[in-house]
Amino acid sequence: MEYYHSPDSIKDALSMAREFDGNFIYFAGGTDVQIYRKQKLEKNEHIIDLKSIQDLNSISMKDEVLSLGAMTPLDDIIKSKEIQNYFPLLMEAAKSVATPVIRKTATIGGNLLVRNRCTFYNQSQEWRNGVGSCLRDVGDICQVTGGNNDCYSRNVSDTAAALIALNAEITLINSNEMTQKPLKDIYLPCGIKFHDLDNKNILTQIHVPFRPKKWWYKKLRVRKTLDFTSLTIAATVDNDDMARICLNGVSMAPILIEESLDTLTIESLIKQARKNCKTVDNDLMPLKYRREMINVFLEEWWEYEHHK
Amino acid sequence: MTGAIGKPTPYIDAVQKVTGQAMYADDYKFPNMVYVSCLRSTESHAKIKSLELKKAEASPGVIAIVTGKDIPVPFGVLSISRDETAMAIEKVRYQGEIVAAVAAETIEAAEAGVKLINVEYEPLTEFFTPQDSLKTCTPDEQIHAHTKDHKNIHKTAELRFNEPEKELETAKHKQTGEFKFAGVTHGFTEPHSAVAMWNGDETLTIISATQVPHYLQKNLSKVLGLPLHKIQVKKPVLGGGFGGKSDPFPHEMIVSFLSKKIKRPVKCTFSREEVFITHHGRHPTEINMSLSCDAGGKITALDADIIIDGGAYGSFGVVTSYYNGVLLQGPYEINKFGFRTRRTYTNKHQCGAMRGHGAVNPRYAVETLLDMMAHNMKMDPCDLREKNFLSEHSSTVGEFRITSNGIRDCIAAVRKKSDWDSRYGKLPYGHGLGVACGFFISGSALPILWNRYPQTVVHAKLDFDGRIVMFSGASEIGQGSDTLLVQIAAEELGIPMDFVQVEVADTKTTPVDLGSYSSRVTFMVGNAAKTAASNIRNEMVKAISKEKDTTAESLIFRNGRIFTKDKSLDITWEEGVEMAMAGRGAFVESGFYISPKLGGNFKGAGAGLSPSYSFGAFISEVEVNPKTGETNVIKVWGAHDCGKALNPLAVEGQIEGSIHMGLGQTMSEEMRYKNGQQLNANFFDYRIPSSLDTPDMDVTIIESNDPEGPYGAKEAGEGPIHPVLPSIGNAVFDAVGVRMMELPITPDKVLKKIKENV
Ligand SMILES: Cc1cc2nc3c(=O)[nH]c(=O)nc-3n(C[C@H](O)[C@H](O)[C@H](O)COP(=O)(O)OP(=O)(O)OC[C@H]3O[C@@H](n4cnc5c(N)ncnc54)[C@H](O)[C@@H]3O)c2cc1C
Ligand code: SF4
Repeated sequence: MEYYHSPDSIKDALSMAREFDGNFIYFAGGTDVQIYRKQKLEKNEHIIDLKSIQDLNSISMKDEVLSLGAMTPLDDIIKSKEIQNYFPLLMEAAKSVATPVIRKTATIGGNLLVRNRCTFYNQSQEWRNGVGSCLRDVGDICQVTGGNNDCYSRNVSDTAAALIALNAEITLINSNEMTQKPLKDIYLPCGIKFHDLDNKNILTQIHVPFRPKKWWYKKLRVRKTLDFTSLTIAATVDNDDMARICLNGVSMAPILIEESLDTLTIESLIKQARKNCKTVDNDLMPLKYRREMINVFLEEWWEYEHHK
Repeated sequence: MTGAIGKPTPYIDAVQKVTGQAMYADDYKFPNMVYVSCLRSTESHAKIKSLELKKAEASPGVIAIVTGKDIPVPFGVLSISRDETAMAIEKVRYQGEIVAAVAAETIEAAEAGVKLINVEYEPLTEFFTPQDSLKTCTPDEQIHAHTKDHKNIHKTAELRFNEPEKELETAKHKQTGEFKFAGVTHGFTEPHSAVAMWNGDETLTIISATQVPHYLQKNLSKVLGLPLHKIQVKKPVLGGGFGGKSDPFPHEMIVSFLSKKIKRPVKCTFSREEVFITHHGRHPTEINMSLSCDAGGKITALDADIIIDGGAYGSFGVVTSYYNGVLLQGPYEINKFGFRTRRTYTNKHQCGAMRGHGAVNPRYAVETLLDMMAHNMKMDPCDLREKNFLSEHSSTVGEFRITSNGIRDCIAAVRKKSDWDSRYGKLPYGHGLGVACGFFISGSALPILWNRYPQTVVHAKLDFDGRIVMFSGASEIGQGSDTLLVQIAAEELGIPMDFVQVEVADTKTTPVDLGSYSSRVTFMVGNAAKTAASNIRNEMVKAISKEKDTTAESLIFRNGRIFTKDKSLDITWEEGVEMAMAGRGAFVESGFYISPKLGGNFKGAGAGLSPSYSFGAFISEVEVNPKTGETNVIKVWGAHDCGKALNPLAVEGQIEGSIHMGLGQTMSEEMRYKNGQQLNANFFDYRIPSSLDTPDMDVTIIESNDPEGPYGAKEAGEGPIHPVLPSIGNAVFDAVGVRMMELPITPDKVLKKIKENV
């Protein structure tokens, strides 16, 4: 297979990335990207598989900071005693992704970078030819809004919601530099370019420095497994009563609301959430219901937070 | 019963299937085989202005391209609605309809060829809802030219007995409801696949994933203009059907035509998306139904007005139209009874037969109305039902003959097991129980195409090796019919099952069976197989009693031996075989089943006639989250009267499968469309419940011993689905006090109703 490459170091991966610039994708577990290839939504020819690179799939705790290699399978995260004991929120979120079989292959890095979804985009090529392609594909209008500027495809990463609520940081390696930044900062409010990684960036590590006093997690979906989220909310509260509430699945990027419990009211929380979420009718669950559930979930968290 | 009958018996093909040895249609590969890919319409209703094939024809690897004009003879499973051709001619009627088919050396080359075909369409008015189709339109807008009064109505089926409308007008206790059901599809695992070969002797062989080899043979003969005796249809191992493979299909015509044309084996296997497009599933349905009772809770009348959305072609639709009404005649006695069903053509995937054919949606309606009635009359819903059951050996208003009937045992069983009497109506808010009953045909008494032959014939062959081979046209589709043939022969001849093998579903070597539909196989093929095997035994008895000078009646066949009660004669099976074959060699005996003459003399009297009916009662328990509307089905108790469980393991499996499938339609499955294009044509977005969504199941088999069924057996493959859906809907009412009149019961609908209720 001339298009398949399996470098065993980051250095090699980056040099391949330079060689095939503009015509490659990184491949972690492949559980997301393979479907895009099959549906011809991903047309880049070369696959750079990151699986053989050493040291990208470890789970370690040092000075109370959890470090996860980007290539760690979700299943390992669920089974890790450290994560179960100290970061149960992350465990719950990982457990809510896809199915047990997929989670053995799917990685945490891949999950953070899972591609945005839309009912009118995640379809076969024949299907898309039927309706006419949309803005995000090769067409010129959005099939949902009829507009010709913005794409509202949804960020559906469940672990992103949890890790943002946990204030996680990530390490990225580019040709000549290593950067560390808050996870939340990589996401962009755009359905087409939904994160700011340049195409050669490799996500290597995720760091979780913070163990909240309390946490809460809930995912809305039709079936109890398999389905992508229609709304995920992860929330944490630290020792100073600072609340971090992250919503995903309802906008182009995860939405974070950060405020002290001293000042936060449920009304203002709902107002902020509803204002920031650009929710449109691009999921099979009805739009009105998904919006309603933002209120219901937040109210449920609020009750949980104030009754225990 | 001393042998294999009545014992839980794993399927004889189970090991083959789980080890991957089983050969499904797509597993067949032949030298020189070519592959077909189909060009499908991107329009829902449009004239084909031009079709440009030149570029595709020149594409590397492409061998032949066919279009609608090449195979113009219409076909269809019902002779009264042969309204479909292998590919669209002149116009397309739904998005995804096949417009051209490309045969090439590889599938990739065929797909590349498809992309090079240019089609120009001229859009026509599109009809996406039955309401649109009921209106008058211009002749040009008609989906099919043959519909009457310039409307897109395919069929109106109506029957009325004893003026129910008059009773309903004045009834004191009356419930009326408007119900709406989304379309659902079969969701079988194996996609449609067929491979056709044109043989050296100018005959055609087609190996196809079909439930109806016989009807395929008939339709191929018509479409290809080939005499029946030159067509061999073979059904390989099949990965599920549920009614979705019980029509002749366009791709079967296409591969057959192409193999004749290019004299090479031709294969076509659908993608999952194509399977969804092909559909033929349950019709989206709207029902307006009224039901009345007297003060004592005895049902006095039922009337229903039903609209079913047939999609672009006929399929089984005429039967579906009738079944929507006539199968409301049981399990309750209703003497004033009427219905009208209108089936419309629309520009969507065509609907057809699916497990529980035609009766699932109206069953939901009537069981919901009964629940409303019970609530209104402050009566226990089980008690109300018990007041109304048809009795054994009775007749319905439309002259269905009822023979055995175990419905009372069914409801008693689930009532007790679910602790209904102490829990119904008393559970905390958000938690509820619901009950429903049902009944279904045990095989359609009339063949689809009228003829004077039996509905099935089975041959049993005995040879020198002691092996019995059962030859039957019956189509094993996962329901266990192959195992049944073996069990029956083993039972009749007192031999271990491994002495019996089957040759099945091959129109060249096996006698005709009409197919696996309408829950007919156990009853009809079972009876025929029993006769065939017992005829073998009779022949053996004759020979042995003559040679050993015993009376015929004294011979016992058991455990692989043949003996008299006093053991003065005690020989092995093989010794018996040797005696039976002396001087004549291997022989074949035959058995057949033909339904007794049944039914009334009015138009439509034949619909729903069956030599026997199955009955069932189910109770479901749910939890509803009143804040989100999410409904969790926790447990289902199901009791089904299958007459006699010839293979209890299979019956249990059928009941559990029915619960799972019924759950899907109730809770989450739905064919979603936008402008005629399906939004969820894949197993990710078409939401079949997962194992986590599937409740605990408690299955009770009730045996009422039917006088005409083989060993007393009736059906168990479709009947158990009917009560599942309304028992869940009724449980939701018990939980949160809202009536779900629309399926699927998605959280948004439940929440909306809860909010309206306060
Ligand atoms: C049936 C099914 C159900 C699913 N359900 C869910 C669900 O409920 N929730 C959910 O969030 N997802 C779901 N998914 C999507 C997917 O399985 C998960 O998101 C998974 O975690 C992706 O990880 P992966 O390792 O397979 O990623 P891949 O598919 O390999 O990669 C995903 C993307 O990230 C990029 N990438 C991956 N790793 C790196 C890296 N280290 N550096 C730079 N770029 C990288 C890839 O180029 C690609 O664009 C589902 C998928 C399927 C098939
Ligand atoms: S939101 Fe609009 S532009 Fe974006 S993927 Fe969906 S249809 Fe395309």
